[in-house]
Amino acid sequence: MALVRRLGRTGIFVVLAAVVLLALLAVWKPYVVIEGIQRGGLYALIALPMALILGIVGIINLAHGEFMMLGAYFAYWLSVYTGMDPLVAMLPALAVFALLGVATYLLTIRRALKAPELNQLLLTFGLAMMASQFANLMWTSRPLKPHLSYVYSSMRLGSLTFGTYAFVYTAGAIALLVGLLLFLKRTRVGKAALAVGQNPRGARLVGIDVNRTYLVIFSLSIALVGAIGALFLTRHSVFPSVGSPFTMKSFCLIAMAGIGNLSGVVWGGFGLGIAEAFVLSFRGYGGWADVVFFAVLVAVIMGRSYRRRTA
Amino acid sequence: MRSMTAVMKVGLVAIALILGAVFLAAADEPPIKLGAVNPLGDITGAQATKAMRLAVAEINAAGGLLGRQLELVVIDSELDPAKGAAAIDRLATVENVDIFIGGMSSGVHLAQIPALKKYGKVTVWIGAASSLVEQAVEGLDWYFHLHPWDYLQGASYVEGWAAIQEEYPLIQIHKAFWAYEEGAFGTSSYQGSLVAHEAWENIGESFKSAALGGGDYRSVLRHAQEEDPDIFIWVGYGADALPIMEQAREIAFTPPLFVGSPPGWPADFGKSPLAEGVIAYGMWAPSIKDISPVSNHFWNAYIDMFDEEPATYFAPLGYTNVYVVAQAIERAGTLDEAALIAALEQTEYDSPLGETVTFTPSNLINHQGFQGQKILQWQDGEQQVIWPFEYATALPHYPYTGR
Repeated sequence: MALVRRLGRTGIFVVLAAVVLLALLAVWKPYVVIEGIQRGGLYALIALPMALILGIVGIINLAHGEFMMLGAYFAYWLSVYTGMDPLVAMLPALAVFALLGVATYLLTIRRALKAPELNQLLLTFGLAMMASQFANLMWTSRPLKPHLSYVYSSMRLGSLTFGTYAFVYTAGAIALLVGLLLFLKRTRVGKAALAVGQNPRGARLVGIDVNRTYLVIFSLSIALVGAIGALFLTRHSVFPSVGSPFTMKSFCLIAMAGIGNLSGVVWGGFGLGIAEAFVLSFRGYGGWADVVFFAVLVAVIMGRSYRRRTA
Repeated sequence: MRSMTAVMKVGLVAIALILGAVFLAAADEPPIKLGAVNPLGDITGAQATKAMRLAVAEINAAGGLLGRQLELVVIDSELDPAKGAAAIDRLATVENVDIFIGGMSSGVHLAQIPALKKYGKVTVWIGAASSLVEQAVEGLDWYFHLHPWDYLQGASYVEGWAAIQEEYPLIQIHKAFWAYEEGAFGTSSYQGSLVAHEAWENIGESFKSAALGGGDYRSVLRHAQEEDPDIFIWVGYGADALPIMEQAREIAFTPPLFVGSPPGWPADFGKSPLAEGVIAYGMWAPSIKDISPVSNHFWNAYIDMFDEEPATYFAPLGYTNVYVVAQAIERAGTLDEAALIAALEQTEYDSPLGETVTFTPSNLINHQGFQGQKILQWQDGEQQVIWPFEYATALPHYPYTGR
């Protein structure tokens, strides 16, 4: 019992249990594992930039999904007017949304940093409303999506046929995680951002320009989520309200992983993706997918709280 | 001779003065006001409103009605029941409109009905297909409804598929799989369809629409694939259209009949090769312009005026809405309510949707316009009518290949 407790404490037991469960699931319902990892990758990919802002700047950006929506519209219109593939449009989206991030930070976020948290929430909620209404006025609520034949590429293994393109989200989430961790741990700006995230007053005392760090991190996050919007468009329709559900899912993932835990966001995303795909694989239980999503979230948060108390 | 010329001059001046006075008097007449409540942020409401404006412009260019100009006052419902109901109050009390027209969404309209009852003005409504709305307006003699009720739509599909199977024996439907979005729209459509298509073996499963935060349809598609249905019907929103086709292709699911039933199709759907052969339900397709002069006129006039193509059947429906009212006013010769109701009951309008509109009783109301929907098919990037055969613009392509 003591051994189990010790293993559980170090996390090895949890990892082993997860691997065994995954292996059993892969034998029983292989498509659940494949599609769960794919959809979990999308959740994690979208959540990572939000986690960055929340971890460093300390603001819950309720306009997160709306920036992704604007990124998808940007890529769509670029593809219409220039013929540019949305995957390529990720590069200009990075630049344009970095500028949008700078403008948003300087005009709004910076002024609310010292305000009560509720005011910050209301501010970003207002930004979200403005963005979706802007999109509605500009492009109506009619969904838009370019035809891209590569998004339905598939592979056959025995009797199982599954899509391969959606792994782009899985790969994207892992690549973004690695990139962000390298940025935060290996670069000067990244180290400064980590210091600011942990203790802004202390960081200021040692000479770090806190305001500039906030600006860089906020702009980087908006640039990333704008580019992710272009990637999102390849497999989804864009319309004014497409982003808001992803704001909520991203926030839940971050809450599950713990603020500042970027790796946890990715593993949590995969876990939730697989849990959802598992529930959906049973006919007639599709409506339970959201329940499972939030049940896993509540269980993890309670489990973490229990571990903290017993530690 | 000179006095004769002078008399003629005086006479001409007198006639000019009289005509001028008549013209000025006519110009002073207040316009006839039509009050519409449409969701302007949605393509259905936006295009219906444009089509209404087009009809009003045409009628005014032709001299107006009863010597008066026609004025359209539009308020945005924002698809919000409370705002939709408040709009009726505003149109009645502030704008003093003569007749109510519009609008879309059964949920919004249910909230508007108490306000409409309060004012009791003649109302000619184009949307709101739920039979709950029909129950709410039962017995109202001033209420006219154009869009077919949900049960009429269901009955028309049953009739249409029976006719298609009889005409083309290669097409046989015994088993249907319904993938419906889990909200009220999808669920009520599915439940209505079960009653309508009782001759089929019906299997249904809900999915979360992209419009509500979903967008992964693979599990429901896999379940459908396991059932090997003769017809696969998804009831969702436009945002689901292309992704569901792509994901079906991903898992190699190609049922013989692939039917989509969104309220509006996304702009680029026809450009995708996956759209080829997809069946759609609707009241109108642009191809009707090739067989109907009214539809052809509407199509060209709409593009001339707004520099965009009508993309939803609510556009010709909005145009029809104004013309049905205008012709009734013309027939009645007055805005008196009883005369206007009598004139509306005599409606016979060749609409751009193909059919001639008349008002006949439905289950609960006396004034129902259109009686059913059409079965359409995407062919070479365009929607073609394949049933009713009298409006058919193409032969059906069968089976769906998902190419």
